[in-house]
Amino acid sequence: MLSYLANPQRFMGFSAWAAPLFAVLAFVLFAVGLPWALFYSPADYQQGETVRIMYVHVPAAWWAMGVYAFMGGASFVGLVWRHVLADIAARAAAPVGAVFAGVCLVTGSLWGAPTWGTWWEWDGRLTSMLALFIIYLGYLALWSAVEDEEKAARLAAILCLVGLINLPIIKFSVDWWSTLHQPASIMRSGGSAIDPSMMGPLLTMAGAFLALFGALTLYNMRAAIFRRRVEAAELRGAGA
Amino acid sequence: MIEGGWDYVWPAYAVTIGALLVVTVVVALRAMHWAKRARALEPKKDERA
Repeated sequence: MLSYLANPQRFMGFSAWAAPLFAVLAFVLFAVGLPWALFYSPADYQQGETVRIMYVHVPAAWWAMGVYAFMGGASFVGLVWRHVLADIAARAAAPVGAVFAGVCLVTGSLWGAPTWGTWWEWDGRLTSMLALFIIYLGYLALWSAVEDEEKAARLAAILCLVGLINLPIIKFSVDWWSTLHQPASIMRSGGSAIDPSMMGPLLTMAGAFLALFGALTLYNMRAAIFRRRVEAAELRGAGA
Repeated sequence: MIEGGWDYVWPAYAVTIGALLVVTVVVALRAMHWAKRARALEPKKDERA
């Protein structure tokens, strides 16, 4: 499948129908997930209504890391096999991942204030997530700073691969260090500790974030391919 | 139980929806801009052919 789509012509054919499909899927999942999370899911017996922040905070955190892992895979392919489409995919995903990481940090702060009594704490989980956000910004800045796109792609791929080390640090920070942040309650040995009535809206919102990521990344990739075509045509025109 | 939770829930959802809307609009405008410019080149290709 991936090698089939590695051809830009085939990718444009695939993304022409896949991007709007993901967009519609994201819209439907948000239309279901947002009211479910805000009004139809129960309040927590300890956290009260603040638990509803979980339905945006947790998917944003999951996919901020998931998008970065995707970028890591694409960067590896771009670096090893010098595949332009892989570089385009990594770059196209980065702004979406950066927004997810930013949303995770802000909503986490808004959740921390009433539950922990503080907006911020320099502990392992919060600091490593802030580091991920900064790595995203650095990655995007690097792409913009280097004019030669081939060189920019190589440097950005190396930065992205080095930054992958942060993902296990984020995941296991709550086990390795003393922290205000709660330990893993869904992806943990022994099964999920979350009540099923809260799992439905959480997974729906996680699906909505994922579908939105798919749509935005595909549209971003299409824009990048169109831009390269336009610039190549302009160069040919200038040379003629 | 924590009281006054909605005072934190609404800003969290406003930030999330606002940020996702902004990135969606920026990506959509960028995609439309380059698709339009690429389409504008197509007649030139035909002329060359």
